[in-house]
Amino acid sequence: MSDEVMYLYAVTDADLGDAEIDDMRAVDGAAVHIIAEAPVAAVVSAVDAERFSASALRRNLENLQWLEDVARAHNAVVSDLAHRRPVAPVRLATVFANTENVRALLRTRAQDFVAALDRVRGRREWAVKGFVGLTDPPSAAAGSTDTLSPGRSYLERRRAERDSHTRHIEEASTEADAIHNRLVKLTLANRRYPPQDRRLSGYRDEMVLNAAYLLPAGAEIEFRRVVDEYHEGHLRLELSGPWAPYSFATLEGDQ
Amino acid sequence: MTLAGPRDELALVDLLDRLLAGGVVLTGDITISLANVDLVHISLRALISSVSTLVEP
Amino acid sequence: MSNGFGRIDTNPDSIGKDLGRLVLTIVELLRQLMERQALRRVEVGDLPEETVENLGLGLLRLEEAMVDLREYFGLQPEDLNIDLGPLGSLLPRSDSDAR
Repeated sequence: MSDEVMYLYAVTDADLGDAEIDDMRAVDGAAVHIIAEAPVAAVVSAVDAERFSASALRRNLENLQWLEDVARAHNAVVSDLAHRRPVAPVRLATVFANTENVRALLRTRAQDFVAALDRVRGRREWAVKGFVGLTDPPSAAAGSTDTLSPGRSYLERRRAERDSHTRHIEEASTEADAIHNRLVKLTLANRRYPPQDRRLSGYRDEMVLNAAYLLPAGAEIEFRRVVDEYHEGHLRLELSGPWAPYSFATLEGDQ
Repeated sequence: MTLAGPRDELALVDLLDRLLAGGVVLTGDITISLANVDLVHISLRALISSVSTLVEP
Repeated sequence: MSNGFGRIDTNPDSIGKDLGRLVLTIVELLRQLMERQALRRVEVGDLPEETVENLGLGLLRLEEAMVDLREYFGLQPEDLNIDLGPLGSLLPRSDSDAR
């Protein structure tokens, strides 16, 4: 149909069966389809060509509600697959004109996809976020402002609070690097994302670590134990997962 | 340590970290640069415009 | 749908609070910016003592006023959850963002 294009979610092994995707619902509630080109298969759904044209995408990507709907639908498909099989998740809004173009992609990059799938086979992604933890009230400043005039005293108090805040962030960042280096030794790969902007994440505390780790199944217990038992002065850790291996989905030959 | 809740409560920021900056990057037939998506800008505009629609008569 | 993005709830009864929150967020941004600037100037050390005292008093009064305004609107400090990042992305410029 010329008014539909193919939205690509992920690539997986060609043994993916229809029964596995029957109940899945994708972007716009559409059904999910398999395009198989052994040894790999693409997981796609048909989307409206007008809403996923270049100009429409540019506009739609600026709409937070649209972005959320598509991101959640995309992840629902990827995540469902990743529970049961290795997947190479594809970036959001990767669209092809028709199924033949998807087949061509699978044929030309078959070995790259196989390598990407082998890299994540039997492995899962876990995420650790680190936040600046408990901050001590500025006690030293309080006493010394007794002899100051009210305006000066306020400024001194605020300066002490700011300096203390800056110190806490520095200390937490140092601790974050240290725990990250420890966790790296337990994992096969890692990736650090920039800390999330507080205006978006809604977290009150400052984030100093936002990392993803690729773990073999046997290493998960130890990894979780290390994170769980982490109790340092200035850093609070948060674990999330397992995730589909988005953070480790690259093809050889791409930088 | 806290563990994320069930799948349907995944934080949007975490999803967007992965879907906009992760995943295989392919030259699809429609090529859009996701690097230019300024999430804070969009979020604040959504906030402001939702208020301005409240005040329109 | 709630997602920590500061999504405003479109209930007509809460319009006052929603607008208050928006206005106070911007005022709080300016207050923090002014305070940061003032601290920098004071640290440089070239201001007469009286000026420093007046700056401090002004900022102190401003902080007190913000507390009162927040309480009036029933808002917590976290509701004005901002970070002094690039100023331009928060305050709309007159030459752009006009959509």
